[in-house]
Amino acid sequence: MLTQMHVRGLMFDPYTNAYIIILRDDSNAEMLPIWVGKPEASAISFAMEGVATPRPMTHDLMKTVLDTADAKVISVVVTDLKDNTYYARVHLLYEDSEYSIDARPSDAIALALRVKTPIFVNDDVIRKHSNEEMDRWLENLKPEDFGKFDA
Amino acid sequence: MMETGLVKLTVQGVMPDAIPNSDSQVVILQDENKAHTLPIWVGVAEGTAIRLAMEGVIPPRPLSHDLIRNLTEQLGLKISKVVVTDVKNNTYYASIYLSSKQSELTVDSRPSDAIALAVRTSSPIYVAQDVLDRLAPENVDPWLKMLGAKEFGGTV
Repeated sequence: MLTQMHVRGLMFDPYTNAYIIILRDDSNAEMLPIWVGKPEASAISFAMEGVATPRPMTHDLMKTVLDTADAKVISVVVTDLKDNTYYARVHLLYEDSEYSIDARPSDAIALALRVKTPIFVNDDVIRKHSNEEMDRWLENLKPEDFGKFDA
Repeated sequence: MMETGLVKLTVQGVMPDAIPNSDSQVVILQDENKAHTLPIWVGVAEGTAIRLAMEGVIPPRPLSHDLIRNLTEQLGLKISKVVVTDVKNNTYYASIYLSSKQSELTVDSRPSDAIALAVRTSSPIYVAQDVLDRLAPENVDPWLKMLGAKEFGGTV
């Protein structure tokens, strides 16, 4: 099963020095944070804020290449989560055939926002995420984190 | 392969900018006879994208330019060449030439993206002769010196 999600925001994570894309479903029942690097975060933020750069950025080029070839992005899907790495696929229609191409979720989402195509997440990913997030929390805890609770 | 008004270049390396703490890197392109050198300033992300491909690094997950290459390959589009076409107000312009079964397509691009794609697809990189003619020697000489003095393509 797939759940459609929207990009609700972008946050900076000072612990990992990375950015977090926040995806949510329409009913706000499910939330999925995805960690991305700085260039990917700015690619997504430009598209969210409708910033037009003087020259095409990398994902603008990706869109133009597909537009020029008359290939249409149907959807992007976050398909899997393995060892803290998210996997996505870009689904395309080109000359009456469908194609599905492996991508990082950051690239898939940066492209989806530009071509205005829906973003889906596999329900397994949402379930796995809740487990892996807890693991990550526990791994990242340092002895000094516990100190905070000393009265 | 000769193309009228175009000079074929290859990437010699990606170097840190001469200005300390700069957010830019410099891609150095040269023709076969080393008669022409073209330095192009690019962002760190784009510089890294070019360097990784030159070093033959295969990342565990496809980077943005790997994705563009995979998209075009799967759709049967071949990148036939990339051309640095113009320079205006210190901004370089490039075109990516794609050929499908039916037609030849041209897409406007920053040179950094065009070069990052060219090195991934072993496509030739050209520059318009006109762009080379307008290069001021003082912009090129420092990089020529560094070419002689320094190892290229190292970590930045």
